[in-house]
Amino acid sequence: MRFLIASLLCAGSVFAQQIGNPTTQEGVIPPRGIFAIRNARIVTVSGPDIENGTVVIRDGKIDAVGADVSVPAGAQTIDGHGLSVYPGMIDAGTNMGLVEVPQGANGTVDTSEVGELNPNAKAIIAVNPHSAHIAVTRVEGITNTLTAPTGGLISGQAALINLLGTAPKEMALVPEAALVINYPRIGGGGGGFGGFQQQPANLSETLTANERQVEQIRKMLRDAEAYGRAQDAYAKNKSLPRPDRNVVLESLVPYVRGEQPVIFRADREAEIRGAIKFADEMKLKPIILGGDDAWKVTSLLKEKNVPVILTGIFSLPSREDDAYDVLYEEPAKLQQAGVRFCISTGDAGAEVRNLPLYAGMAAAFGLSKADALKAVTLYPAQILNVANRLGSIEVGKMANLVVTDGDLLEIRSHIKYLFIDGRPVVLTSRHTELNDAFKNRK
Amino acid sequence: MKRFIARLLLTAIVTSLPLSVVRAQRSAAPETLIRNATVLTVTHGTLQNTDVLLRNGKIAAIGKNLNASANARIIDATGKYILPGIVDCHSHSMLDTINEGTLAVTSMVRTADVLNPTDPDLYRELAGGVTTLNLLHGSANPIGGLNTVVKIKYGRPASEFIFPGAMPGIKFALGENVKRSSNPNLPGVQRRYPNTRMGVEEVIRDAFTRARDYKRAWDEYRAASKNDKNLIPPRRDLQLEPLVEVLEGKRYVHAHCYVTSEILMLMNIADEFGFKVKTFQHVLEGYKVAKEIAAHGAGASIFADSWAYKIEAYDAIPYNAAILTRAGVVVSMNSDSDERARRLNIEAAKAMHWGDLTEEQSLRLVTINPAIQLGIQDRVGSIEVGKDADLAIWNGHPFSVYSRVDTTFVDGEIFFDRQQDLARRAELAAERAKLEQAEPNKPPAQGQSPQAPRRRPRGHVDDDIEIDQP
Amino acid sequence: MPKVRLRLLVAASTLLLLISVTIAQRNAIDTYAITNARIVPVSGATIDRGTLVIRNGLIEAVGANVTAPPDARIIDGTGLTVYPGLIDSYTNLGLPEPSPSPAGGGGGAAFFLAAPPRPVGGPNSTQPAGLQPEVMVEETIRSGGTEIESSRNIGITAALTVPRSGIWMGQSALINLAGDTPQQMIVRSPVAMHVGFTPLRGTYPGSLMGVFASLRQMMLDAQRYRDSMQIYDRAPRGIRRPEVDRSLAALIPVIEGRMPVVMLANSEREITRALDLGTEFKLRLIIAGGRESDRLTDRLVKQKVPVLLSLNLPRRTTAAIPEADPEPLRVLRERVEAQQTAGKLAKAGVRFAFESGSLTNMSDLMVNVGRAIENGLQPADALRAFTIWPAEILGVENQLGSIEVGKIANLTVTRGDLFDRNSRVAHVFIDGRPVDLRPAAGGGPSRISVSGQWTVNVNLGQGDTAITLNLQQEGDRLTGSIAGPLGSGEISNASITSAGEVRFTVTVNVQGQTKEATFNGRLENNQIRGSVTIVGAAPGTFTATRAGQPN
Repeated sequence: MRFLIASLLCAGSVFAQQIGNPTTQEGVIPPRGIFAIRNARIVTVSGPDIENGTVVIRDGKIDAVGADVSVPAGAQTIDGHGLSVYPGMIDAGTNMGLVEVPQGANGTVDTSEVGELNPNAKAIIAVNPHSAHIAVTRVEGITNTLTAPTGGLISGQAALINLLGTAPKEMALVPEAALVINYPRIGGGGGGFGGFQQQPANLSETLTANERQVEQIRKMLRDAEAYGRAQDAYAKNKSLPRPDRNVVLESLVPYVRGEQPVIFRADREAEIRGAIKFADEMKLKPIILGGDDAWKVTSLLKEKNVPVILTGIFSLPSREDDAYDVLYEEPAKLQQAGVRFCISTGDAGAEVRNLPLYAGMAAAFGLSKADALKAVTLYPAQILNVANRLGSIEVGKMANLVVTDGDLLEIRSHIKYLFIDGRPVVLTSRHTELNDAFKNRK
Repeated sequence: MKRFIARLLLTAIVTSLPLSVVRAQRSAAPETLIRNATVLTVTHGTLQNTDVLLRNGKIAAIGKNLNASANARIIDATGKYILPGIVDCHSHSMLDTINEGTLAVTSMVRTADVLNPTDPDLYRELAGGVTTLNLLHGSANPIGGLNTVVKIKYGRPASEFIFPGAMPGIKFALGENVKRSSNPNLPGVQRRYPNTRMGVEEVIRDAFTRARDYKRAWDEYRAASKNDKNLIPPRRDLQLEPLVEVLEGKRYVHAHCYVTSEILMLMNIADEFGFKVKTFQHVLEGYKVAKEIAAHGAGASIFADSWAYKIEAYDAIPYNAAILTRAGVVVSMNSDSDERARRLNIEAAKAMHWGDLTEEQSLRLVTINPAIQLGIQDRVGSIEVGKDADLAIWNGHPFSVYSRVDTTFVDGEIFFDRQQDLARRAELAAERAKLEQAEPNKPPAQGQSPQAPRRRPRGHVDDDIEIDQP
Repeated sequence: MPKVRLRLLVAASTLLLLISVTIAQRNAIDTYAITNARIVPVSGATIDRGTLVIRNGLIEAVGANVTAPPDARIIDGTGLTVYPGLIDSYTNLGLPEPSPSPAGGGGGAAFFLAAPPRPVGGPNSTQPAGLQPEVMVEETIRSGGTEIESSRNIGITAALTVPRSGIWMGQSALINLAGDTPQQMIVRSPVAMHVGFTPLRGTYPGSLMGVFASLRQMMLDAQRYRDSMQIYDRAPRGIRRPEVDRSLAALIPVIEGRMPVVMLANSEREITRALDLGTEFKLRLIIAGGRESDRLTDRLVKQKVPVLLSLNLPRRTTAAIPEADPEPLRVLRERVEAQQTAGKLAKAGVRFAFESGSLTNMSDLMVNVGRAIENGLQPADALRAFTIWPAEILGVENQLGSIEVGKIANLTVTRGDLFDRNSRVAHVFIDGRPVDLRPAAGGGPSRISVSGQWTVNVNLGQGDTAITLNLQQEGDRLTGSIAGPLGSGEISNASITSAGEVRFTVTVNVQGQTKEATFNGRLENNQIRGSVTIVGAAPGTFTATRAGQPN
């Protein structure tokens, strides 16, 4: 298949030689252009499937899509016979690019800042565009991740990135996409995403300690609110004393004003309820990340229109008496209850490529296949407020597309072509390279 | 048909003898006829619209339009699939403790001593179509404890879990865990030897040298004591006895390992002392030395695609299964995790995705291949007449992400059934309500604070080098 | 050698009893007659109205038609019932408090690695403490103490005293709960070898698997030691002398089935493992704890394994907090089923005896027997499980366990039926002498009250930490809570004795770790002073000062 795209790219005269080894720094990313995928089944996600149609990509965007779309002059074409075109998948709960090897190599870990309150720790600053995880992940059809810091109470700001680029700036779709708050846990952590958090084992004490921690967060957010008002007042009226700038508080202003979403990591029922109550009180725009117990809180989530990024599908049930499928069937339960959700691996990086399997498991346990697909494409785009740019195949959206020889979520399918930001991406990674290097060793 | 009946008779005779003891418990449904399924036999291809008859704990017949006795349980499996019970060649389920980490050589400890048959994860694994587990000691030491192969007979006493006739095994471990790379250097605490891969080799070499001497001492004693009754026998040494069994080919070595150097090292020692490594566990860099592993005759029991969780896992690639398989190595996909064990079907399917193994090659990764690695291939791992009735009925192809298990059989008995599970939930809720009203369960007026809840760890375990709590 | 020692001991204690008649200062009269009492001999039919004569520490006569001898001190038994003295078949009574661990009191790694209270080890042992079967409690038993007192208060007259900890914990002794010296107290020693399954820390065996391997290896070593010694003793010339090993020597009666082995095991799988090990080495096994032993009655009957059944019945101790997870069904079932165990054992014909299972509040013991009776145990069997059955299981059935002429005069005399909640212990006789009883359960040590708010300075080796302690006392029942830098929570297992000894357990938070702390102190001059024991840490001290006077 790499041979196919290589020959395809050779046909286009401009960038054939420029596509280098994607796991080493190539310096230049593949250029945009005009591409047409013909005779393919097109799974638009936002609308009905087109059994035999064409998608045209121009200058990074989806230019046309439909059964009767004609191929523009100068377009490089891909014969999509027997293939399906999907929007790229989005994992909204990762540390992609912030950590290479979590254990035994601290130098490669940039997830957690020192201290409890770090709203100004921005993932986009530290994302390593040349992390092996990025190519390994994208060649499986995941084109975007929300990359979040993890430490303390206020972890920092997450970035929504394309999994392609030679600099964080090139990758960023939304460099400061959400503020991430670890809502104080009532139980031991243990989720793959948040890492281990030492907790006193006594519940009353934990609750008391949590109250104090929430108060810490509250105080900082109130300070930011006051700071924003003071700066605004000064901007309108320069006769007021000029308030000092404070980069930390300043970074919080769009979040405390409800302009940008705040992600609360919360799994247990009490944590989720606490986070929603807190967000209400502070007039934030909350998103729940984790959400193992969200199925117990559906009416509140629906009433407050709080979306959930579910990361627990491949976790063991939290309690020994839980039904064996409690987390498998959680997406179906949220769907039935009308709660907005999407599915994430919640993984640092290495496992993110298995995102389609998480969605597939949800479909095995009650979620419709169509909704399972949406849960890793359109729903995360909507939750992250980028549905005008990502998540489905619609004219005008960013051309993040995956061409497969089968159902996108099925592990037996293979990715045949990949476009990110309208750029054709070679399907190689550290893993394909090592495979190539050793598979013929005699 | 005649041949069929003959076969039935034969299997009935063969199987009834050892099972007579437990037969009484099975009286509820001595026979089960699963009708019209797609049967993934693993060893003899895929059979469409086929019936499978289970009797006395064995697969009694496979074919079209089979007949069963009047009181047989009949299951219509139209549109459904039958897969042999999945064999997980690396598990730590149902172990009350995983590591005896105090010493570098702990071949005297036995996982069989610490089985917990009530571990709820066992049930969750049954719900993923898993029926057999290789319970291994952890990876805290170069030579660890003895394994136990079990069938998941959840709800029964531990003794009924033991897989009869499985080859005894022992856990070895090489690399970072043994070096205790992730243990803190505590002041005043002496680090345990070994601290390098060099030291690991030394420990194993020394242990086998001692084992060889031990065997010699006993041989000499046995010979001499025929004439001299006044000889004091050598000390029986529970640490060395299993290693003697390894030297004699009576015990399989399952060796946790990652990188090229340590894989080659262990094979060299094994060659030198004249034993075989039965399986390399994890063996993430196995693809780099596939031909050497094949030449040694070792198997590989691996993760499908885990990588980069520590330094020695950074060169792991998901093509490992394909490269090793093509080199002629018997490969299995294991879980090393109570979580992952629930979806080993998909782990196997990954070999079709990465490396393009065939469906049959991939099915083997979690069925007959791990069975071979445990010496139980004559009992489980494929759907064949005469084999144990360990299998699961799936509502779709087990390699589809959209499929799940309907019913899991072990020795012909149902140990998981989704419909029964759903039906039981209301009963359990009622039982809980009743129990909570019982006097000893009422919260006292002035009670202590309950413990904060703990969430179970997810995913990858990598043999847990955590310090075991007593 | 143990047999000889035993005989000597029995002889010695008998002798001592005889001598004590003349030398005892407390009570010169040693002949008693309890008249007009209801007598429940356990070994025979109940005598509705009869007389029991005690002389020389022994039961001299018993019956409806027995007349009190003229030299006897008469106790009018009208309205009283006389039972054989109750036996608690697994305790640490008479043992000194666990010795503090040697590690410093610092935090961090030292805290993490600090050993739990060290098992008592003997000198010149080949084995580390915890693996020393040669340890004998008879060497460490002390007379007196409030724990013995509170056991006697509810009618316990004799107890099996077992080493506190270890894998090979050592050898137990059966003691009478009265006597001025340990020698006077001991009825039989050694009674049994004891095995616990708690791994050592930081050294092999550090896991349950290792514990089993150690037990096996030492029993194999003991076999070889015995064989080697026999061979050597036969003809030492030309044989290298085997090294003397007290630990292995102590195991020889065990592996030869001459000495019973008591294994601590509560859950079904723990008991199964013990039974398997017992079978493997042909041991004379006894199970102690036995909470789920009712699930294994077939095996217990078949292998003739008796059970020392704990009466420390589990019950919920935690408050209902909405954020808490519901308790697992397993736990809910366990608590309910534990009440039924005794009844099921009796029905299945498993021999068993009751033990207090380290209940801190001994007044709960009879309450819990009541719960067992409500859940299917026949009262007559409950009585046997406190008297003749423990005597048989522990090998003292010719001395204790029933009211028969010639047996040791250990008697529990109650007003009302023993298992009736309203009954009271009126008299306790041990070795033929009445024992001073403190006000019985319910009445409580009325002279003392610790109710009120206390400021407690806790010193765990790093300076004082001040916490607040609230205590409420009703009789000898004590409840309360702590608050402060060590965390807040309810106290449990709390008790107060008439001597002002206060004891409770509470969950504390030290260095970010949650630990069980046991406070043990004595009230004096409106202050409680004493020690704090935290598992896995060096012991500390505390001083509590009462904020105001009790109300």
